[in-house]
Amino acid sequence: MKTLPVVRPEGNVPESARLGGEEGNVPVLLSRLKESIGFFEKNLSSALGWARKNSIFQYPFVTACCGMEYMSAMAGRYDIARFGAEFPRFTPRQADLLMIVGTINVKQSPVLKRVYEQMCEPKWVMAFGVCASSGGFYDNYATLQGADRVIPVDVYVPGCPPRPEQVLDGLKILQEKIQTQLHRAATVEKG
Amino acid sequence: MSQALVDLVRERFPDAKGSSHRGDEVVTVRREQVVDVVALLRNQAEMKLLRQIAAVDLLTFAGESTGGGALASIEVPAYALEKKPRVEPRFQVAYNLYSIVRKQSLRVRVELRSDDLKVPTITPLYRTADWWERYVFDMFGIEFVGHPNLQRLLLYPEFVGYPLRKDYPVRKRQPLVPELDFPDLVRGPGPGPGGAGVPMSQTHVGRQNVDPDAYD
Repeated sequence: MKTLPVVRPEGNVPESARLGGEEGNVPVLLSRLKESIGFFEKNLSSALGWARKNSIFQYPFVTACCGMEYMSAMAGRYDIARFGAEFPRFTPRQADLLMIVGTINVKQSPVLKRVYEQMCEPKWVMAFGVCASSGGFYDNYATLQGADRVIPVDVYVPGCPPRPEQVLDGLKILQEKIQTQLHRAATVEKG
Repeated sequence: MSQALVDLVRERFPDAKGSSHRGDEVVTVRREQVVDVVALLRNQAEMKLLRQIAAVDLLTFAGESTGGGALASIEVPAYALEKKPRVEPRFQVAYNLYSIVRKQSLRVRVELRSDDLKVPTITPLYRTADWWERYVFDMFGIEFVGHPNLQRLLLYPEFVGYPLRKDYPVRKRQPLVPELDFPDLVRGPGPGPGGAGVPMSQTHVGRQNVDPDAYD
């Protein structure tokens, strides 16, 4: 995608009305071909996002009492499978969503990082409960103050432990996020 | 109920101090005597169960056992730790022994000054003392002389300080630690000294004396 220089207007222009950032350039489409490719990319991204958000294979990294609430969210009454998160895969290599269910301590953090690195792209992370989100009330020498000290987290579900409704709400927020992300069928290297 | 046990100890070790706290008999002995006292209780009073080895950090806590109310200061609030007078001997190590046959328990206590935190080990007497002493070393930094493998039990080797001491800062945070090499059971695979392929018996903590073929 090429860029065109922006002709800046004179005078005191508010920051929100400025185009192109510091370089003064704005991305533009110069041909019908690029425009049509963009059109199909957008549609393909939307379709892939729809497929991915409705088939989230999850890896439960259960370390603490939140696991009970995770079981409740999985089981018949709340049934997270209604929202497409059907399968807990007990290997990170087959999972899309890493659910950090419980307290992570400093000694354990390399393990969590390794599990995250073993997951294939695209991957998302949910911090399940306050301990995984911020350390919770374990404000002490051993506990990691939030799993995002080690790996990136997409959605935080508060609660100690969270109600299954909160988990489902967090899952739906994550689904919206997945839908609006850019998905590509393949990465094409261009010269 | 366990006064007979205190008498048994005092008969052999006359300078041992007996006391009682809410029905629990306590005998306070000198550091040099602790192995002999525990051995005496184990062999002659059938106290085959070592329930726990615990440590106490008194720091500024002035109780009956540490000089009484003379040290207690109500003018200084509890949160101003640095202004409160220090208590010596600061640490206590308690051995909670129990006799399953006689249904009697006794606590053997050793008092330690903060400039000399060393206690002789009782691992030859109780197998379970191995991990209890490592636990006390991990949390309080009390050295058990003669212990076969005195390393941190729950925490990791990079941890600085002893978290259950009263002067460990509550808000202190330790830095993140890297992965260890493959044979480590806890911290997972990763590059490290020795690297993958080294038998677990040679690298894993506590496995030095194990036959390598038995585990790998």
